[in-house]
Amino acid sequence: MQSPLSVRQRFFSRFSNRRDTALSYLLVAPTIFVLLALSIYPLIFAIKTSFQTGTADSLQWSLANFTRLFTDQFFFAALGHTFVYAAVALTLEFLLGLGLALLLNSAIRGRSLFRALMLVPMMLPPVVVGVVWRLMYNTDFGAINGTLKMIGVNTENFIWTASPQIALLCAVVVDVWQWTPFVFLVLLAGLQAIPQEPYEAARIDGSSPWQTFRYITLPLLKPAILIALLLRTMDLLRVFDQIYILTEGGPGFATETVSLYIYRTAFRFFDFGYAAAMSFVLLLLTNIISAFYIRILQREEEAR
Amino acid sequence: MKRFVLTSTYNMNVRFHNVSKRFGEAAAVDSLNLEIADGEFVVLLGPSGCGKSTTLRMLAGLEDADAGDIFIGEERVNDVPTQARDIAMVFQSYALYPHMSVAQNIAYPLRVRKTSADEIERRVKRVAEILEIGNLLRRKPRELSGGERQRVALARAIIREPRVYLMDEPLSNLDAKLRVLMRGELKRLQHDLATTTIYVTHDQAEAMTLAHRVAIMRGGKLQQFAAPITIYHEPANRFVAEFVGSPSMNFIEGEIDVAGRQFASKSLTLSLNESQLEILKNYQRVSLGIRPEQITVSTVEQTGWLAASVYVTELMGNETIAFLRIGEERLIARAASEFRAAIETQVWLKIASDKALFFDADTGAAIR
Amino acid sequence: MRQNRKWQSLKYLLLSIAALASLIPVYWMLTISLKTDADQLASPPQWFAFTPTAEHYRDAFVTRSFGSYLITSTIVATLSTLCAVVIGTLAAYALTRFQMPVKANRRLSLWILSTRMFPPIVTIVPLFLMMRDLRLINTIPALVIVYTAFNLPFVVWMMRGFFNEIPREMEEAAFVDGDSRLGALRRIVLPLVTPGLAATAVFCLIICWNEFLFASVLTQTEAAMTLPIGIAGRVTQYEIKWGVMSAAGVVAMLPILIFALSVQRYLVRGLSLGAVKG
Repeated sequence: MQSPLSVRQRFFSRFSNRRDTALSYLLVAPTIFVLLALSIYPLIFAIKTSFQTGTADSLQWSLANFTRLFTDQFFFAALGHTFVYAAVALTLEFLLGLGLALLLNSAIRGRSLFRALMLVPMMLPPVVVGVVWRLMYNTDFGAINGTLKMIGVNTENFIWTASPQIALLCAVVVDVWQWTPFVFLVLLAGLQAIPQEPYEAARIDGSSPWQTFRYITLPLLKPAILIALLLRTMDLLRVFDQIYILTEGGPGFATETVSLYIYRTAFRFFDFGYAAAMSFVLLLLTNIISAFYIRILQREEEAR
Repeated sequence: MKRFVLTSTYNMNVRFHNVSKRFGEAAAVDSLNLEIADGEFVVLLGPSGCGKSTTLRMLAGLEDADAGDIFIGEERVNDVPTQARDIAMVFQSYALYPHMSVAQNIAYPLRVRKTSADEIERRVKRVAEILEIGNLLRRKPRELSGGERQRVALARAIIREPRVYLMDEPLSNLDAKLRVLMRGELKRLQHDLATTTIYVTHDQAEAMTLAHRVAIMRGGKLQQFAAPITIYHEPANRFVAEFVGSPSMNFIEGEIDVAGRQFASKSLTLSLNESQLEILKNYQRVSLGIRPEQITVSTVEQTGWLAASVYVTELMGNETIAFLRIGEERLIARAASEFRAAIETQVWLKIASDKALFFDADTGAAIR
Repeated sequence: MRQNRKWQSLKYLLLSIAALASLIPVYWMLTISLKTDADQLASPPQWFAFTPTAEHYRDAFVTRSFGSYLITSTIVATLSTLCAVVIGTLAAYALTRFQMPVKANRRLSLWILSTRMFPPIVTIVPLFLMMRDLRLINTIPALVIVYTAFNLPFVVWMMRGFFNEIPREMEEAAFVDGDSRLGALRRIVLPLVTPGLAATAVFCLIICWNEFLFASVLTQTEAAMTLPIGIAGRVTQYEIKWGVMSAAGVVAMLPILIFALSVQRYLVRGLSLGAVKG
């Protein structure tokens, strides 16, 4: 004879499988509510704002904000900076990350120690990263110039982030320093997920290291590569924090990316409508590019 | 396993009445009607996708039936949630709780019912004794072997003394030797517990050895529900005949020649006796089924025997399985272990045609 | 095999260079925080030979308000992580466990994830205006609310992956054994998912702690400023006090490093949104 179900259990057992559906919707509801209120609603509001011009008292609906984009030098400059920044940073991060991942993947002692050390740049608050590198780049007492001086180089003209020509590249270096470990970790995980058998078969077939890499490693690593590139690209297109601290978009506007320009428009000039229009364009851009990646990813998955 | 006696105070039969379930467009279970008596060990047998697991899960309440009624005892349980159905289940993967010790795993059903700690301890001990896992009580599932885990899953099932036991391919994760061993232990256990048990498997040997009655399913439909020996000797259709028995039954396509009192296929003819002619007189095209043990093979020519050539032989030790060719037909025969014949040599075989079974060439239904 | 030896040493060399490159800039900031103002300007710069001083730390946390920034950051990070994890985990459980119509389930999950893809700058203005209308500017609740929304998609996506790793059969066994849905959740699922839950929570803490943009827009007075804002504030002023800034930077990064090391195992999965198993 079994002991009878308690009263509470009998109560809950009244919710049959079908009524579970109601419970499931109940559990998801708070999330949906929060996201609607704080992500979707602001987005819609932003889109609405982008179609409005004029002062707070006399708002008119117009496309002026968008047409203005076509003639705005600062906007094009910002776009240019953003793309150059993203392209160079992505390439460097990918090559370095891949190299490091390949190095660490072969049996090496102290692997976890090394991984822990590589974590450091990635986890730092971007603000701190900006500070750290401002210190490094400082013309007078920065570590870079200081060390160069020690070996006798004349650093008078090495003004790094104060130079309109190379300030953007200096910012790229900072990004590479901070985010190569991320690409490295993702690619390493991808490498470690590749089974041993294809490699063993390749050895038996007499494949050279380069051939093995090109025909076995790379194709099997494709998903991880795509993920890493996708996530980095999205982050690079909307970069803000480190550059803000490092150069504030300067000198002049040499390092002003789209995000920085939007920030300036919104919080220095208080032109919310125009800022919203630009945000919208940025959003569109990010979506198109990530859709492109995702399409490739899905095709990869189907081919398996 | 230690012997013990447990009397069930329930009369727990299980009944499926026109039960159906669809997944999307496909019917997983199609109008199933099945009545299982109290204390009976019934096996749901069939190839994968035939609906046997779905049927079991509907009985457990883990799936909802789209149509029909399911009864446990006198109670219609379609709307009764799983927790309240008073059943126990052994899953194929055992589903042991990895973060709990063996003792805690076994105790879980009682703990959830707020049984007193003393009572829990007493019953866990008793059940562990029955299944001989008393020395494993403190271990965690990941430290156990497959066979040990299976016993823990069983212990968890029997500790509550439920109305019905459900088992979903519990032996398929064990290696061959252990499987045979556990088969016997399960049968013994069920006998001692005397509780209604419904067991799902695709292994016909398990079904034949364990069940009081076997329900064979295919494509969601019940093919036959009878005792193992009945299914073996009187299959309801060709599918059942082919599925049960290893090596499987031989089938020869051919025609009935009433005047000539024989069955003729492309490569051989067999004479039919009176009772066979009686049931076959209205048929023209049929499939003849004959089991391997009903074919005798000899390396020496015998009068009236059919000539065949050897395709390959398998020396099993206790017997020899011979794969033979007559013309375009292929036949499998069981021979004594001393039987030896090289590939492509000629042998002679005798088919016990009066034991043959006949099936409609189009529908596959047995002709009686 | 002789060339293997050379190759091995080269490997170690390259890896060591990479490790050093990661650490040197951070170390530099550490030295700045411990050097007197005079030492900081010394040329050539001293990497090791200087007398350390705690004056900048004292300056930052006792004299100036970095202490309060620290407390604010801690409160905001903890509260919003708590909210995000609770709300998000329940949603993730519903998405993985309940038999919702399959299409709705997928669409919902993707929609939740897509909100993470917005460049933050897009929603910053409307959120600012919203908070202003609710009179929540310069308050901790404003940040907590915004950060919760920030972290939710991430929590849902991560926990979904962790829940999916627990076989359904385990809960089904619990039901057959007589446990209710909530009981099974409490006794079976949650204990098994705890490491993943902890890792997710740590990630949220890191994200909140490091966040800058929203904090800068939503807080304008000292009372509600978080640590990143405090540090940034020193930068845009006329006279940059490097020592104080570095001291604050060091303190800002320490908890993160400790946390990050503790969730090392889940790092890749967390950062790549579970797309690659870490």
